[in-house]
Amino acid sequence: MRRVLIVEDEHHLADGLRFNLEAEDYQVHVVDTGEAALELLLAPSPPFDVVMLDVMLPGIDGFTVIGELRQKGQFIPTLMLTARNHPDDVLRGFTAGADDYLTKPFELAMLLARLRSLLRRNEWLLAAAASPAATDDAASQPPDSYAFGEISVDFDRLELCVRGKVFPLTLMEANLLRYLIAHEGKPVSRKAMLEDVWGLHEDTDTRAIDNFIVRLRRYIEDDPTTPRHLLTVRGVGYRFVAAPE
Amino acid sequence: MLESRRKSMALFITLGASLILVILILYIGWVLLNWRNGILLFLGVLMLAFIITGVVLNTIFLVREIRRNEQHDAFINAVTHELKTPVASIRLYLETLQTRAVDEAKRAEFYRIMLADSDRLLATIEQVLRTGRMGQSGPKLNLTNIEINALVEECLERARQLHHVPERALEYSPGPPVTILGDLDDVRAAVANLIDNAVKYSGSTAKIVVETAVVDDTFVTLRVRDQGPGLEKSELKRVFKRFYRVQGQLAARVKGTGLGLYIVRAVAKQHGGRAWAESEGPGHGSTFVLQLPRVR
Repeated sequence: MRRVLIVEDEHHLADGLRFNLEAEDYQVHVVDTGEAALELLLAPSPPFDVVMLDVMLPGIDGFTVIGELRQKGQFIPTLMLTARNHPDDVLRGFTAGADDYLTKPFELAMLLARLRSLLRRNEWLLAAAASPAATDDAASQPPDSYAFGEISVDFDRLELCVRGKVFPLTLMEANLLRYLIAHEGKPVSRKAMLEDVWGLHEDTDTRAIDNFIVRLRRYIEDDPTTPRHLLTVRGVGYRFVAAPE
Repeated sequence: MLESRRKSMALFITLGASLILVILILYIGWVLLNWRNGILLFLGVLMLAFIITGVVLNTIFLVREIRRNEQHDAFINAVTHELKTPVASIRLYLETLQTRAVDEAKRAEFYRIMLADSDRLLATIEQVLRTGRMGQSGPKLNLTNIEINALVEECLERARQLHHVPERALEYSPGPPVTILGDLDDVRAAVANLIDNAVKYSGSTAKIVVETAVVDDTFVTLRVRDQGPGLEKSELKRVFKRFYRVQGQLAARVKGTGLGLYIVRAVAKQHGGRAWAESEGPGHGSTFVLQLPRVR
């Protein structure tokens, strides 16, 4: 569950945001001063993934809060949410270290999308930092190529070689194929593919996946209408089989 | 921004002061060297006095202008905040009701919050509009007879509901029944502003005493005494200025436009009365007094 810290002294707004974010499965904590926010966020390993920060707070203001956080090495994704929409204020927010800036009044959908985007960016960064591909250790890197039957995939060059014929793959096609191969033999849900390959959440149309599968089948399968490698799992998603009986 | 402006202000004040100093040194030196030339000396004195007065006036004007600018900026920020925050809140709840399944209890709560926010919005709009009207020359008052005790009761009731203050936190000791001749909307706004301020600045431990009394048989005074943070002597007059807000921690904690007391004083003047503040200093609470002529 993703954890949001809301720093907002207007209780009506804070309560409304809490209701909506909890409905979206976020875990929400609200504080109403900059001082309280700093105390929480500068503690060792604060339990939050993203911060929504108001500017006009009692005591120290939001600009000061974000400035101090960044100065002390706290780089948690932060969305500034404020009534001040003068370009000077927006610039000041970004200069101080905000990742995004949204002015009140805002559209709920816009706010949620921005929050998701911040989290997604952070997850990508964390994944990149954690993945062995980013390190020098060549031995632990995932295979750059994979072969099954008469087919081989070169993930480095984004090429698919089927019975001597070479097809170029797009990056997302290659990533999807790599993901299915990694889960060889197991059914993979459309939702999981969207989240793990595309880094998207919830309301995106999961049918978008199907178009990719259709294209991959055209490359791989002898007869795309009766697939043997890329199988449909009804009601769930797809399953990759390297060596069908 | 504020800081850089403060710096430039300090620069100009220093410049003004050093100019005056230089002139004085030059002058004294000149006098010491040429004390014999009496008439020239006299003319010189006049000219010098003239120049010094000019420089001093110029510096004072500059400082005032910068202060006013600062207050104006702060006012724009405060009004922006006061207008946009309730709109943002109402919008958020409407969108929530539109897009999510909300149970009956929550729905009722959301409606209550939205109503409170629209009241807040309306109050800010009215305050800004009223200030605009006060600034115009020759305002037309819609004069009626007002029974002051009833008006105060009404304002107290409204404040209790608006700020959720318990009955005993807002105490009222009415004087004898008195009628004044005034514009009901304006007088009501002035009384409400005084009571609202007392509640807002008292925080959670509000203990406010409101009393009316007749003075010299010609005036009726409304005193609103709070046990809030109190005021410095230097602030007692300033708080009635347009856009002025008390500096420091407290002002940031309490939201406002800096118009409330300005309206109180303007209403008092229009009705031939006056308004002032009393305080024994920070930490000792303060009393705001509105004095209006009564009808006999």
